Amino acid sequence: MSSIKIRSQRLENYTEIKLLITHPMENGRNRDANGELIPAHFIEELTISLNGSPVIVVDMAGSIAKNPFFTFRLKSVASGDNIQASWTDNRRNGESIDHIVN
Amino acid sequence: MERRTFLKQSVSVVIATVISFLGSKTGQAAWLAKHFASGQFNESMAQLFDNQTITESSQINIGLPKIAENGTVVPITISSELENIERIYILVEKNPTPLAAEFELSAEVSVYITTRIKMAESCNVVVIAKLGSQLLKSQQWVNVVQGGCGTG
Repeated sequence: MSSIKIRSQRLENYTEIKLLITHPMENGRNRDANGELIPAHFIEELTISLNGSPVIVVDMAGSIAKNPFFTFRLKSVASGDNIQASWTDNRRNGESIDHIVN
Repeated sequence: MERRTFLKQSVSVVIATVISFLGSKTGQAAWLAKHFASGQFNESMAQLFDNQTITESSQINIGLPKIAENGTVVPITISSELENIERIYILVEKNPTPLAAEFELSAEVSVYITTRIKMAESCNVVVIAKLGSQLLKSQQWVNVVQGGCGTG
């Protein structure tokens, strides 16, 4: 199953996009039950593209909460447009999802 | 649908996804480790803005709880009627890594952003918006009930 959940709602003056990404967002300063440091593991970059052109790029680190959630608003989105969300983390893992707007 | 056709289409979708994913990474500013370095808030500000003038502005709106029970999940909303905001930075003054996120926005974006940040302890959350050569700032104090060293 994809790590990314994406929803969009077209409203009068904008389209609202909500994103939820499953990710631990460990900053490397937490300890596990045995007192060992949990290695840093966080998303570094999230890119939102509209019909193939990037419209939002978010750079982040371990100060974004676990399972990052974002809301964005885009001005001119039409029914059938493609919104793509893709992330990469500090271990060079990543995922991308395409979402067709209703 | 024929099984063969279905498989073919599935494969092409996967390939298209992989290609577009790789494609989206090229030509963009890379994630900058120095922006997210651990350190003092003032050091982060100097690193990011190089002592440029930053003006307090009432046109950058921040929504934050006055009291956050749990510092590991603090919801924040940033909105503005201003056009041409190119970048937005969220900094948490007392976090070991003060910069929480940096948003690069195209003209297609209507500025209304929500996310959830971590806060190590009670402090100001500072939002900086960049419009051309202009830097606008807004901040809000948040009392964090339960923070801790792991949260920021």
